[in-house]
Amino acid sequence: MKNKYQQRLIWISVLALIWQLTALSGTFSKMIFPGLDQIFMALIESFKDGTLIKQIAFSLSIIIQGLSLATAAALILALTAYFSKNAAGLIDTLTALAHPLPGIALMPLILIWFGSGRTAILIVIIHSVLWPLILNLSTGFNSIPDIYTLIAKNYRLNKLEFMFKILIPASLPYFISGLKIAWARSWRALISAEMLFGAINSLGGLGWYIFQKRVFFDLPGVFAGIIVIIVIGVTVEDFIFKKLEAKTVKKWGMLK
Amino acid sequence: MKKYISIIIILSLSLFLISACESGDQNSQKSITIAEQYGLAYAPVQLIKELKLLEESDSDLKVEWKQLSNTTSIRESMLAGEVNVAFMAIPPFLIARDKGMEWKIISGLSESPLGLMTNRSYINFLSDFKTEDEIALPQPGSIQHILLSMAAKREFGETEKFDDQLLTMNHPDAMNALLAGREVSAHFASAPYLFLESKEDGIKKVLSGSEAFGGDFTFIIGVSTKEFYQQQSENYILFYKALMKAIDFIEQNPAGAAELLADNYDLSQAEMEEYLSWPGMKFTSEIKGLEEFIAFMTAEGYLEENDYQGSELIFEEKTELEVELNALEKGVWKNEE
Repeated sequence: MKNKYQQRLIWISVLALIWQLTALSGTFSKMIFPGLDQIFMALIESFKDGTLIKQIAFSLSIIIQGLSLATAAALILALTAYFSKNAAGLIDTLTALAHPLPGIALMPLILIWFGSGRTAILIVIIHSVLWPLILNLSTGFNSIPDIYTLIAKNYRLNKLEFMFKILIPASLPYFISGLKIAWARSWRALISAEMLFGAINSLGGLGWYIFQKRVFFDLPGVFAGIIVIIVIGVTVEDFIFKKLEAKTVKKWGMLK
Repeated sequence: MKKYISIIIILSLSLFLISACESGDQNSQKSITIAEQYGLAYAPVQLIKELKLLEESDSDLKVEWKQLSNTTSIRESMLAGEVNVAFMAIPPFLIARDKGMEWKIISGLSESPLGLMTNRSYINFLSDFKTEDEIALPQPGSIQHILLSMAAKREFGETEKFDDQLLTMNHPDAMNALLAGREVSAHFASAPYLFLESKEDGIKKVLSGSEAFGGDFTFIIGVSTKEFYQQQSENYILFYKALMKAIDFIEQNPAGAAELLADNYDLSQAEMEEYLSWPGMKFTSEIKGLEEFIAFMTAEGYLEENDYQGSELIFEEKTELEVELNALEKGVWKNEE
Protein backbone atom coordinates (compact mmCIF):
# COMPACT_ATOMS: atom_id res chain seq x y z
CA MET A 1 0.00 0.00 0.00
CA LYS A 2 2.76 2.41 1.01
CA ASN A 3 4.70 1.46 -2.03
CA LYS A 4 1.79 2.45 -4.23
CA TYR A 5 1.65 5.93 -2.77
CA GLN A 6 5.41 6.30 -3.09
CA GLN A 7 5.21 5.35 -6.73
CA ARG A 8 2.37 7.74 -7.30
CA LEU A 9 4.28 10.54 -5.63
CA ILE A 10 7.32 9.91 -7.79
CA TRP A 11 5.24 9.93 -10.93
CA ILE A 12 3.41 13.07 -9.98
CA SER A 13 6.69 14.85 -9.33
CA VAL A 14 8.08 13.66 -12.65
CA LEU A 15 5.00 14.87 -14.51
CA ALA A 16 5.03 18.17 -12.62
CA LEU A 17 8.69 18.65 -13.48
CA ILE A 18 8.09 18.00 -17.17
CA TRP A 19 5.15 20.38 -17.06
CA GLN A 20 7.15 23.12 -15.41
CA LEU A 21 10.14 22.67 -17.74
CA THR A 22 7.87 22.84 -20.77
CA ALA A 23 6.27 25.98 -19.41
CA LEU A 24 9.64 27.58 -18.67
CA SER A 25 11.12 26.60 -22.02
CA GLY A 26 8.78 29.09 -23.69
CA THR A 27 7.80 26.73 -26.52
CA PHE A 28 4.21 27.68 -25.91
CA SER A 29 2.92 31.09 -25.00
CA LYS A 30 2.17 31.56 -21.33
CA MET A 31 -1.48 31.97 -22.20
CA ILE A 32 -1.68 28.48 -23.64
CA PHE A 33 0.60 26.71 -21.18
CA PRO A 34 0.83 28.36 -17.76
CA GLY A 35 3.52 27.29 -15.29
CA LEU A 36 2.68 25.42 -12.11
CA ASP A 37 3.55 28.48 -10.05
CA GLN A 38 0.85 30.47 -11.83
CA ILE A 39 -1.64 27.64 -11.43
CA PHE A 40 -1.01 27.33 -7.71
CA MET A 41 -1.17 31.06 -7.23
CA ALA A 42 -4.59 31.01 -8.91
CA LEU A 43 -5.63 28.12 -6.69
CA ILE A 44 -4.54 29.87 -3.50
CA GLU A 45 -6.21 33.09 -4.59
CA SER A 46 -9.50 31.30 -5.18
CA PHE A 47 -9.34 29.53 -1.84
CA LYS A 48 -8.54 32.76 -0.07
CA ASP A 49 -11.71 34.60 -0.95
CA GLY A 50 -13.78 31.63 0.14
CA THR A 51 -16.00 31.22 -2.91
CA LEU A 52 -14.18 28.15 -4.19
CA ILE A 53 -14.80 26.28 -0.92
CA LYS A 54 -18.49 27.11 -1.12
CA GLN A 55 -18.55 26.06 -4.76
CA ILE A 56 -16.90 22.74 -3.93
CA ALA A 57 -19.41 22.17 -1.14
CA PHE A 58 -22.22 23.04 -3.51
CA SER A 59 -21.01 20.60 -6.16
CA LEU A 60 -20.47 17.82 -3.64
CA SER A 61 -23.89 18.32 -2.12
CA ILE A 62 -25.59 17.92 -5.50
CA ILE A 63 -23.49 14.85 -6.28
CA ILE A 64 -24.28 13.20 -2.96
CA GLN A 65 -27.96 13.93 -3.40
CA GLY A 66 -27.95 12.65 -6.97
CA LEU A 67 -25.95 9.55 -6.10
CA SER A 68 -28.17 8.57 -3.19
CA LEU A 69 -31.36 9.12 -5.16
CA ALA A 70 -29.99 7.17 -8.11
CA THR A 71 -28.69 4.36 -5.90
CA ALA A 72 -32.03 3.98 -4.18
CA ALA A 73 -33.86 3.99 -7.50
CA ALA A 74 -31.39 1.54 -9.02
CA LEU A 75 -31.75 -0.85 -6.09
CA ILE A 76 -35.52 -0.78 -6.29
CA LEU A 77 -35.54 -1.25 -10.06
CA ALA A 78 -32.93 -3.99 -10.08
CA LEU A 79 -34.70 -5.87 -7.29
CA THR A 80 -38.04 -5.56 -9.05
CA ALA A 81 -36.43 -6.86 -12.20
CA TYR A 82 -34.96 -9.77 -10.27
CA PHE A 83 -38.29 -10.85 -8.83
CA SER A 84 -40.60 -10.17 -11.77
CA LYS A 85 -40.08 -11.36 -15.31
CA ASN A 86 -42.37 -8.70 -16.79
CA ALA A 87 -40.69 -5.86 -14.98
CA ALA A 88 -37.33 -7.30 -16.02
CA GLY A 89 -38.34 -6.94 -19.66
CA LEU A 90 -39.37 -3.34 -19.21
CA ILE A 91 -36.34 -2.33 -17.18
CA ASP A 92 -34.03 -4.11 -19.57
CA THR A 93 -35.58 -2.24 -22.50
CA LEU A 94 -35.38 1.10 -20.69
CA THR A 95 -31.75 0.52 -19.81
CA ALA A 96 -30.90 -0.48 -23.35
CA LEU A 97 -32.53 2.69 -24.66
CA ALA A 98 -31.26 5.17 -22.10
CA HIS A 99 -27.84 3.84 -21.16
CA PRO A 100 -26.03 4.87 -24.35
CA LEU A 101 -27.63 8.32 -24.30
CA PRO A 102 -25.24 10.97 -22.97
CA GLY A 103 -26.75 13.40 -20.50
CA ILE A 104 -25.52 16.31 -22.60
CA ALA A 105 -27.73 15.19 -25.48
CA LEU A 106 -30.73 15.57 -23.19
CA MET A 107 -29.77 19.09 -22.10
CA PRO A 108 -32.07 20.96 -24.49
CA LEU A 109 -35.05 18.91 -23.34
CA ILE A 110 -34.14 19.24 -19.68
CA LEU A 111 -33.83 23.00 -20.10
CA ILE A 112 -37.34 23.22 -21.48
CA TRP A 113 -38.92 20.84 -18.98
CA PHE A 114 -37.11 21.63 -15.78
CA GLY A 115 -35.47 24.98 -16.40
CA SER A 116 -31.81 25.37 -15.58
CA GLY A 117 -31.92 25.14 -11.82
CA ARG A 118 -30.64 22.59 -9.36
CA THR A 119 -33.33 20.11 -10.42
CA ALA A 120 -31.98 20.08 -13.95
CA ILE A 121 -28.47 19.25 -12.80
CA LEU A 122 -29.80 16.57 -10.47
CA ILE A 123 -31.68 14.99 -13.34
CA VAL A 124 -28.60 14.96 -15.55
CA ILE A 125 -26.62 13.29 -12.76
CA ILE A 126 -29.30 10.73 -12.02
CA HIS A 127 -29.64 9.89 -15.69
CA SER A 128 -25.92 9.33 -16.13
CA VAL A 129 -25.65 7.23 -12.96
CA LEU A 130 -28.86 5.22 -12.80
CA TRP A 131 -28.42 2.99 -15.84
CA PRO A 132 -24.88 1.74 -15.21
CA LEU A 133 -25.89 1.08 -11.60
CA ILE A 134 -28.91 -0.99 -12.67
CA LEU A 135 -26.78 -2.92 -15.13
CA ASN A 136 -24.17 -3.69 -12.49
CA LEU A 137 -26.70 -4.62 -9.85
CA SER A 138 -28.65 -6.90 -12.20
CA THR A 139 -25.47 -8.62 -13.29
CA GLY A 140 -24.57 -9.01 -9.63
CA PHE A 141 -27.95 -10.48 -8.70
CA ASN A 142 -27.94 -12.87 -11.61
CA SER A 143 -24.45 -14.14 -10.98
CA ILE A 144 -25.23 -15.36 -7.49
CA PRO A 145 -24.67 -19.14 -7.41
CA ASP A 146 -27.91 -21.12 -7.28
CA ILE A 147 -26.75 -22.76 -4.11
CA TYR A 148 -27.30 -19.50 -2.19
CA THR A 149 -30.87 -19.17 -3.32
CA LEU A 150 -31.46 -22.81 -2.46
CA ILE A 151 -30.11 -22.20 1.03
CA ALA A 152 -32.56 -19.32 1.38
CA LYS A 153 -35.39 -21.63 0.40
CA ASN A 154 -34.17 -24.22 2.86
CA TYR A 155 -34.23 -21.67 5.65
CA ARG A 156 -37.64 -20.47 4.43
CA LEU A 157 -36.46 -16.89 4.29
CA ASN A 158 -39.12 -14.47 3.12
CA LYS A 159 -38.38 -12.12 0.24
CA LEU A 160 -37.22 -9.27 2.42
CA GLU A 161 -34.87 -11.44 4.42
CA PHE A 162 -33.61 -13.02 1.22
CA MET A 163 -32.89 -9.58 -0.21
CA PHE A 164 -30.95 -8.24 2.72
CA LYS A 165 -29.28 -11.41 3.95
CA ILE A 166 -28.34 -13.02 0.67
CA LEU A 167 -29.02 -11.11 -2.52
CA ILE A 168 -27.41 -7.78 -1.68
CA PRO A 169 -24.39 -9.01 0.31
CA ALA A 170 -23.67 -11.68 -2.28
CA SER A 171 -23.66 -9.17 -5.10
CA LEU A 172 -21.77 -6.49 -3.19
CA PRO A 173 -18.61 -6.55 -5.34
CA TYR A 174 -20.77 -5.67 -8.34
CA PHE A 175 -22.60 -3.07 -6.33
CA ILE A 176 -19.37 -1.38 -5.23
CA SER A 177 -17.85 -1.37 -8.69
CA GLY A 178 -21.15 0.05 -9.91
CA LEU A 179 -20.87 2.80 -7.33
CA LYS A 180 -17.36 3.58 -8.47
CA ILE A 181 -18.52 3.98 -12.03
CA ALA A 182 -21.45 6.02 -10.77
CA TRP A 183 -19.16 8.34 -8.82
CA ALA A 184 -16.94 9.01 -11.83
CA ARG A 185 -19.88 9.49 -14.16
CA SER A 186 -21.71 11.79 -11.75
CA TRP A 187 -18.67 14.07 -11.64
CA ARG A 188 -18.57 14.27 -15.39
CA ALA A 189 -22.27 14.91 -15.61
CA LEU A 190 -22.14 17.56 -12.92
CA ILE A 191 -19.26 19.49 -14.40
CA SER A 192 -20.68 19.47 -17.90
CA ALA A 193 -24.13 20.40 -16.67
CA GLU A 194 -22.79 23.26 -14.62
CA MET A 195 -20.72 24.54 -17.49
CA LEU A 196 -23.79 24.51 -19.71
CA PHE A 197 -26.43 25.76 -17.31
CA GLY A 198 -24.38 28.36 -15.52
CA ALA A 199 -24.63 29.43 -11.93
CA ILE A 200 -27.48 28.41 -9.72
CA ASN A 201 -28.24 30.23 -6.52
CA SER A 202 -25.75 32.88 -7.50
CA LEU A 203 -22.92 30.61 -6.50
CA GLY A 204 -22.64 27.67 -8.84
CA GLY A 205 -20.28 24.81 -8.35
CA LEU A 206 -16.91 23.72 -9.64
CA GLY A 207 -18.05 23.52 -13.25
CA TRP A 208 -19.22 27.08 -13.03
CA TYR A 209 -15.89 28.06 -11.46
CA ILE A 210 -14.06 26.64 -14.46
CA PHE A 211 -16.48 28.26 -16.88
CA GLN A 212 -16.08 31.64 -15.23
CA LYS A 213 -12.32 31.38 -15.39
CA ARG A 214 -12.65 30.43 -19.02
CA VAL A 215 -14.80 33.38 -20.05
CA PHE A 216 -12.47 35.76 -18.29
CA PHE A 217 -9.58 34.13 -20.12
CA ASP A 218 -7.83 32.99 -16.97
CA LEU A 219 -6.14 29.71 -17.96
CA PRO A 220 -4.28 29.19 -14.66
CA GLY A 221 -7.68 29.44 -13.00
CA VAL A 222 -9.08 26.79 -15.33
CA PHE A 223 -6.21 24.49 -14.41
CA ALA A 224 -6.76 25.24 -10.73
CA GLY A 225 -10.36 24.03 -11.09
CA ILE A 226 -9.20 20.88 -12.87
CA ILE A 227 -6.69 20.16 -10.10
CA VAL A 228 -9.41 20.48 -7.47
CA ILE A 229 -11.55 17.97 -9.37
CA ILE A 230 -8.64 15.54 -9.66
CA VAL A 231 -7.80 15.82 -5.97
CA ILE A 232 -11.38 15.20 -4.89
CA GLY A 233 -11.72 12.28 -7.30
CA VAL A 234 -8.52 10.60 -6.09
CA THR A 235 -9.39 11.20 -2.45
CA VAL A 236 -12.80 9.61 -2.73
CA GLU A 237 -11.46 6.67 -4.72
CA ASP A 238 -8.52 6.05 -2.38
CA PHE A 239 -10.17 6.61 0.94
CA ILE A 240 -13.90 6.10 0.78
CA PHE A 241 -14.12 3.29 -1.76
CA LYS A 242 -10.95 1.53 -0.60
CA LYS A 243 -12.21 1.63 3.00
CA LEU A 244 -15.62 0.38 1.96
CA GLU A 245 -14.06 -2.51 0.08
CA ALA A 246 -11.69 -3.36 2.92
CA LYS A 247 -14.52 -3.43 5.43
CA THR A 248 -16.83 -5.57 3.33
CA VAL A 249 -15.94 -7.57 0.26
CA LYS A 250 -12.25 -7.95 1.11
CA LYS A 251 -12.95 -8.89 4.68
CA TRP A 252 -15.49 -11.45 3.50
CA GLY A 253 -13.00 -12.91 1.07
CA MET A 254 -15.04 -12.04 -2.03
CA LEU A 255 -12.38 -9.89 -3.61
CA LYS A 256 -8.64 -10.08 -3.68
CA MET B 1 14.87 2.44 -13.68
CA LYS B 2 15.06 1.62 -17.35
CA LYS B 3 11.29 1.63 -17.52
CA TYR B 4 11.11 5.07 -15.96
CA ILE B 5 13.57 6.50 -18.44
CA SER B 6 11.74 5.08 -21.42
CA ILE B 7 8.46 6.52 -20.21
CA ILE B 8 10.02 9.92 -19.72
CA ILE B 9 11.39 9.74 -23.24
CA ILE B 10 7.98 8.88 -24.63
CA LEU B 11 6.39 11.75 -22.76
CA SER B 12 8.88 14.33 -23.90
CA LEU B 13 8.74 13.03 -27.45
CA SER B 14 5.01 13.43 -27.53
CA LEU B 15 5.41 16.98 -26.29
CA PHE B 16 7.79 17.70 -29.14
CA LEU B 17 5.34 16.19 -31.56
CA ILE B 18 2.67 18.55 -30.36
CA SER B 19 4.92 21.53 -30.82
CA ALA B 20 5.88 20.31 -34.27
CA CYS B 21 2.24 20.18 -35.31
CA GLU B 22 1.74 23.72 -34.11
CA SER B 23 4.46 25.18 -36.25
CA GLY B 24 3.69 23.05 -39.28
CA ASP B 25 0.42 24.81 -39.92
CA GLN B 26 1.82 28.21 -40.55
CA ASN B 27 3.53 27.38 -43.80
CA SER B 28 0.54 27.87 -46.05
CA GLN B 29 0.74 31.57 -46.71
CA LYS B 30 -2.22 32.05 -48.98
CA SER B 31 -5.03 31.20 -46.64
CA ILE B 32 -7.30 32.94 -44.22
CA THR B 33 -9.62 31.44 -41.62
CA ILE B 34 -12.54 33.51 -40.46
CA ALA B 35 -14.83 32.71 -37.57
CA GLU B 36 -18.48 33.36 -38.31
CA GLN B 37 -21.33 33.71 -35.88
CA TYR B 38 -25.05 33.93 -36.24
CA GLY B 39 -26.54 37.34 -35.54
CA LEU B 40 -27.72 40.32 -37.49
CA ALA B 41 -24.79 42.46 -36.41
CA TYR B 42 -22.48 40.12 -38.31
CA ALA B 43 -24.31 40.70 -41.60
CA PRO B 44 -21.33 42.25 -43.46
CA VAL B 45 -19.28 39.15 -42.67
CA GLN B 46 -21.99 36.95 -44.16
CA LEU B 47 -21.97 39.25 -47.15
CA ILE B 48 -18.25 38.71 -47.68
CA LYS B 49 -19.04 35.03 -47.75
CA GLU B 50 -22.07 35.26 -50.02
CA LEU B 51 -20.51 37.66 -52.53
CA LYS B 52 -17.22 35.77 -52.37
CA LEU B 53 -15.45 39.10 -52.00
CA LEU B 54 -12.25 37.50 -50.80
CA GLU B 55 -12.06 34.85 -53.48
CA GLU B 56 -12.74 37.51 -56.07
CA SER B 57 -9.95 39.76 -54.91
CA ASP B 58 -7.39 37.01 -55.14
CA SER B 59 -8.28 33.65 -56.60
CA ASP B 60 -5.26 32.03 -54.94
CA LEU B 61 -6.49 32.88 -51.51
CA LYS B 62 -7.92 29.91 -49.69
CA VAL B 63 -10.79 31.16 -47.56
CA GLU B 64 -12.02 29.03 -44.73
CA TRP B 65 -15.10 29.77 -42.64
CA LYS B 66 -15.38 28.34 -39.18
CA GLN B 67 -18.64 28.16 -37.35
CA LEU B 68 -18.08 28.51 -33.63
CA SER B 69 -20.79 28.74 -31.06
CA ASN B 70 -19.63 31.55 -28.82
CA THR B 71 -17.08 34.27 -28.27
CA THR B 72 -15.12 32.23 -25.76
CA SER B 73 -14.46 29.40 -28.17
CA ILE B 74 -13.60 31.87 -30.92
CA ARG B 75 -11.00 33.49 -28.67
CA GLU B 76 -9.59 30.11 -27.81
CA SER B 77 -9.24 29.01 -31.40
CA MET B 78 -7.57 32.31 -32.23
CA LEU B 79 -5.13 31.71 -29.41
CA ALA B 80 -4.47 28.25 -30.82
CA GLY B 81 -3.76 29.83 -34.20
CA GLU B 82 -6.69 28.17 -35.95
CA VAL B 83 -8.61 31.34 -36.69
CA ASN B 84 -7.12 34.51 -38.16
CA VAL B 85 -10.03 36.90 -38.09
CA ALA B 86 -13.04 37.02 -35.83
CA PHE B 87 -15.84 39.32 -34.75
CA MET B 88 -17.03 40.08 -31.28
CA ALA B 89 -18.05 42.84 -28.92
CA ILE B 90 -15.53 45.17 -27.33
CA PRO B 91 -15.53 43.82 -23.73
CA PRO B 92 -14.54 40.20 -24.52
CA PHE B 93 -11.81 41.57 -26.76
CA LEU B 94 -10.51 43.80 -23.96
CA ILE B 95 -10.59 41.00 -21.39
CA ALA B 96 -8.37 38.78 -23.49
CA ARG B 97 -6.11 41.70 -24.44
CA ASP B 98 -5.74 42.44 -20.75
CA LYS B 99 -4.71 38.86 -20.06
CA GLY B 100 -1.94 39.21 -22.64
CA MET B 101 -3.46 38.00 -25.89
CA GLU B 102 -1.62 39.52 -28.81
CA TRP B 103 -4.40 40.90 -30.89
CA LYS B 104 -5.90 44.16 -32.05
CA ILE B 105 -8.99 45.61 -33.65
CA ILE B 106 -9.20 45.67 -37.43
CA SER B 107 -12.21 47.95 -37.62
CA GLY B 108 -15.71 48.44 -36.37
CA LEU B 109 -18.43 46.34 -37.93
CA SER B 110 -21.79 47.42 -36.63
CA GLU B 111 -23.82 49.31 -34.13
CA SER B 112 -26.93 47.52 -33.05
CA PRO B 113 -29.78 48.02 -30.65
CA LEU B 114 -29.64 45.81 -27.59
CA GLY B 115 -32.33 45.47 -25.01
CA LEU B 116 -33.09 43.98 -21.66
CA MET B 117 -36.44 42.32 -22.33
CA THR B 118 -38.74 41.08 -19.60
CA ASN B 119 -41.82 38.90 -19.46
CA ARG B 120 -42.86 40.03 -15.96
CA SER B 121 -45.66 42.54 -15.77
CA TYR B 122 -44.36 44.12 -12.56
CA ILE B 123 -40.97 44.99 -14.03
CA ASN B 124 -40.90 48.39 -15.69
CA PHE B 125 -37.59 49.74 -14.43
CA LEU B 126 -34.37 48.17 -13.27
CA SER B 127 -35.36 48.91 -9.68
CA ASP B 128 -38.38 46.62 -10.04
CA PHE B 129 -36.22 43.52 -10.30
CA LYS B 130 -36.58 41.28 -7.26
CA THR B 131 -33.62 39.22 -6.13
CA GLU B 132 -35.20 36.03 -7.44
CA ASP B 133 -35.73 37.39 -10.95
CA GLU B 134 -33.17 35.74 -13.17
CA ILE B 135 -31.60 37.53 -16.11
CA ALA B 136 -30.37 35.47 -19.06
CA LEU B 137 -27.34 36.67 -21.01
CA PRO B 138 -24.58 35.01 -23.03
CA GLN B 139 -21.88 34.86 -20.36
CA PRO B 140 -20.12 36.86 -17.66
CA GLY B 141 -17.79 39.36 -19.26
CA SER B 142 -19.96 39.64 -22.37
CA ILE B 143 -21.05 43.05 -23.61
CA GLN B 144 -24.53 42.39 -22.21
CA HIS B 145 -23.07 41.72 -18.78
CA ILE B 146 -20.90 44.84 -18.89
CA LEU B 147 -23.84 46.99 -20.06
CA LEU B 148 -25.97 45.66 -17.23
CA SER B 149 -23.17 46.44 -14.78
CA MET B 150 -22.90 49.95 -16.23
CA ALA B 151 -26.61 50.54 -15.72
CA ALA B 152 -26.44 49.06 -12.20
CA LYS B 153 -23.52 51.33 -11.39
CA ARG B 154 -25.33 54.41 -12.65
CA GLU B 155 -28.66 53.71 -11.00
CA PHE B 156 -27.69 52.02 -7.77
CA GLY B 157 -23.96 52.64 -7.41
CA GLU B 158 -23.45 48.87 -7.25
CA THR B 159 -21.79 47.33 -10.29
CA GLU B 160 -22.42 43.80 -9.14
CA LYS B 161 -26.03 44.32 -8.11
CA PHE B 162 -27.39 41.80 -10.62
CA ASP B 163 -24.43 39.44 -10.76
CA ASP B 164 -26.13 36.94 -8.48
CA GLN B 165 -29.15 36.79 -10.77
CA LEU B 166 -27.40 36.02 -14.02
CA LEU B 167 -28.11 32.94 -16.04
CA THR B 168 -25.67 32.00 -18.77
CA MET B 169 -27.58 31.10 -21.90
CA ASN B 170 -27.08 31.56 -25.61
CA HIS B 171 -29.57 33.82 -27.32
CA PRO B 172 -31.89 31.21 -28.87
CA ASP B 173 -32.22 29.29 -25.58
CA ALA B 174 -32.72 32.51 -23.66
CA MET B 175 -35.44 33.63 -26.04
CA ASN B 176 -37.26 30.31 -25.66
CA ALA B 177 -36.97 30.54 -21.90
CA LEU B 178 -38.22 34.13 -21.90
CA LEU B 179 -41.22 33.24 -24.05
CA ALA B 180 -41.94 30.18 -21.89
CA GLY B 181 -42.12 32.65 -19.05
CA ARG B 182 -41.23 30.38 -16.18
CA GLU B 183 -37.72 30.56 -14.87
CA VAL B 184 -36.21 33.44 -16.74
CA SER B 185 -37.57 36.91 -15.99
CA ALA B 186 -35.46 38.85 -18.43
CA HIS B 187 -33.11 38.43 -21.37
CA PHE B 188 -30.46 40.87 -22.52
CA ALA B 189 -31.05 40.32 -26.22
CA SER B 190 -29.27 41.29 -29.40
CA ALA B 191 -30.69 41.37 -32.91
CA PRO B 192 -32.55 39.54 -34.40
CA TYR B 193 -33.74 38.01 -31.11
CA LEU B 194 -34.46 41.47 -29.78
CA PHE B 195 -36.74 42.18 -32.74
CA LEU B 196 -38.49 38.83 -32.50
CA GLU B 197 -39.07 39.26 -28.79
CA SER B 198 -40.36 42.81 -29.12
CA LYS B 199 -43.07 41.52 -31.45
CA GLU B 200 -44.41 39.16 -28.78
CA ASP B 201 -47.27 40.10 -26.49
CA GLY B 202 -46.38 40.58 -22.87
CA ILE B 203 -42.68 41.11 -23.54
CA LYS B 204 -41.38 44.61 -23.01
CA LYS B 205 -38.09 46.44 -22.92
CA VAL B 206 -36.72 47.58 -19.56
CA LEU B 207 -33.42 48.98 -20.69
CA SER B 208 -31.80 49.60 -24.03
CA GLY B 209 -28.14 49.20 -24.77
CA SER B 210 -27.57 52.88 -25.37
CA GLU B 211 -29.39 53.84 -22.16
CA ALA B 212 -27.12 51.48 -20.27
CA PHE B 213 -24.02 52.76 -22.00
CA GLY B 214 -25.07 56.39 -21.99
CA GLY B 215 -24.71 56.92 -25.71
CA ASP B 216 -23.94 55.11 -28.93
CA PHE B 217 -21.32 52.45 -29.06
CA THR B 218 -19.95 49.91 -31.49
CA PHE B 219 -21.50 46.53 -30.86
CA ILE B 220 -19.30 44.29 -32.97
CA ILE B 221 -15.68 44.81 -33.99
CA GLY B 222 -13.41 42.79 -36.21
CA VAL B 223 -10.25 41.51 -34.57
CA SER B 224 -7.13 39.74 -35.71
CA THR B 225 -3.91 38.50 -34.18
CA LYS B 226 -0.68 40.44 -34.40
CA GLU B 227 0.92 37.38 -35.89
CA PHE B 228 -1.49 37.34 -38.82
CA TYR B 229 -1.16 41.09 -39.31
CA GLN B 230 2.62 40.97 -39.41
CA GLN B 231 3.30 37.70 -41.16
CA GLN B 232 0.47 37.70 -43.69
CA SER B 233 -0.09 41.38 -44.22
CA GLU B 234 -1.11 40.84 -47.81
CA ASN B 235 -3.97 38.60 -46.76
CA TYR B 236 -4.79 40.98 -43.97
CA ILE B 237 -5.20 43.86 -46.36
CA LEU B 238 -7.24 41.78 -48.79
CA PHE B 239 -9.56 41.00 -45.93
CA TYR B 240 -9.67 44.61 -44.80
CA LYS B 241 -10.68 45.77 -48.26
CA ALA B 242 -13.32 43.08 -48.56
CA LEU B 243 -14.73 44.07 -45.20
CA MET B 244 -14.96 47.75 -46.15
CA LYS B 245 -16.65 46.77 -49.38
CA ALA B 246 -19.20 44.64 -47.57
CA ILE B 247 -19.97 47.37 -45.05
CA ASP B 248 -20.46 49.90 -47.85
CA PHE B 249 -22.66 47.52 -49.77
CA ILE B 250 -24.96 46.89 -46.85
CA GLU B 251 -25.25 50.56 -45.89
CA GLN B 252 -25.95 51.74 -49.42
CA ASN B 253 -28.06 48.89 -50.62
CA PRO B 254 -29.94 47.27 -47.75
CA ALA B 255 -32.50 45.80 -50.12
CA GLY B 256 -29.84 44.07 -52.14
CA ALA B 257 -28.13 42.83 -49.02
CA ALA B 258 -31.43 41.57 -47.66
CA GLU B 259 -32.01 39.62 -50.84
CA LEU B 260 -28.60 38.02 -50.61
CA LEU B 261 -28.76 37.25 -46.92
CA ALA B 262 -32.39 36.27 -46.29
CA ASP B 263 -31.72 32.57 -46.84
CA ASN B 264 -28.64 32.74 -44.70
CA TYR B 265 -30.67 33.96 -41.75
CA ASP B 266 -33.70 31.84 -42.52
CA LEU B 267 -35.88 34.93 -42.83
CA SER B 268 -38.08 36.25 -45.58
CA GLN B 269 -36.60 39.00 -47.73
CA ALA B 270 -39.01 41.58 -46.34
CA GLU B 271 -38.21 40.66 -42.76
CA MET B 272 -34.51 40.72 -43.49
CA GLU B 273 -34.75 44.19 -44.96
CA GLU B 274 -36.87 45.39 -42.07
CA TYR B 275 -34.30 44.09 -39.61
CA LEU B 276 -31.29 45.44 -41.48
CA SER B 277 -32.77 48.93 -41.49
CA TRP B 278 -34.22 48.74 -37.97
CA PRO B 279 -33.65 52.01 -36.10
CA GLY B 280 -30.27 51.86 -34.43
CA MET B 281 -28.93 49.18 -36.77
CA LYS B 282 -25.91 50.68 -38.43
CA PHE B 283 -23.04 49.14 -40.31
CA THR B 284 -19.92 51.24 -40.10
CA SER B 285 -16.20 50.81 -39.66
CA GLU B 286 -16.08 53.57 -37.11
CA ILE B 287 -15.26 52.41 -33.58
CA LYS B 288 -17.30 54.14 -30.93
CA GLY B 289 -17.14 53.79 -27.17
CA LEU B 290 -13.80 52.02 -26.84
CA GLU B 291 -12.47 54.53 -24.30
CA GLU B 292 -15.65 54.38 -22.24
CA PHE B 293 -15.54 50.59 -22.07
CA ILE B 294 -11.87 50.68 -21.05
CA ALA B 295 -12.51 53.30 -18.39
CA PHE B 296 -15.47 51.47 -16.90
CA MET B 297 -13.95 48.02 -17.02
CA THR B 298 -10.70 49.21 -15.48
CA ALA B 299 -12.45 51.11 -12.72
CA GLU B 300 -14.58 48.12 -11.86
CA GLY B 301 -11.75 45.61 -11.89
CA TYR B 302 -12.61 43.68 -15.06
CA LEU B 303 -9.29 44.85 -16.50
CA GLU B 304 -5.98 45.20 -14.73
CA GLU B 305 -3.88 47.51 -16.85
CA ASN B 306 -5.29 50.91 -17.58
CA ASP B 307 -2.82 52.78 -19.77
CA TYR B 308 -4.00 51.54 -23.14
CA GLN B 309 -3.41 53.84 -26.06
CA GLY B 310 -5.67 53.61 -29.06
CA SER B 311 -2.78 52.48 -31.23
CA GLU B 312 -2.11 49.57 -28.89
CA LEU B 313 -5.57 48.28 -29.52
CA ILE B 314 -6.28 49.11 -33.14
CA PHE B 315 -4.21 48.02 -36.13
CA GLU B 316 -2.82 50.78 -38.25
CA GLU B 317 -3.55 50.52 -41.90
CA LYS B 318 -0.44 49.24 -43.53
CA THR B 319 0.57 52.15 -45.69
CA GLU B 320 3.73 50.64 -47.09
CA LEU B 321 1.69 47.82 -48.48
CA GLU B 322 -1.05 50.03 -49.77
CA VAL B 323 0.90 50.73 -52.95
CA GLU B 324 1.39 47.09 -53.66
CA LEU B 325 -2.21 46.43 -52.98
CA ASN B 326 -3.42 49.19 -55.23
CA ALA B 327 -1.65 47.49 -58.08
CA LEU B 328 -3.33 44.28 -57.12
CA GLU B 329 -6.66 45.98 -56.92
CA LYS B 330 -6.45 47.45 -60.38
CA GLY B 331 -5.67 44.07 -61.86
CA VAL B 332 -8.38 42.09 -60.21
CA TRP B 333 -11.20 44.39 -59.38
CA LYS B 334 -11.30 46.29 -62.64
CA ASN B 335 -13.61 44.02 -64.53
CA GLU B 336 -16.09 44.10 -61.72
CA GLU B 337 -16.53 47.82 -61.57
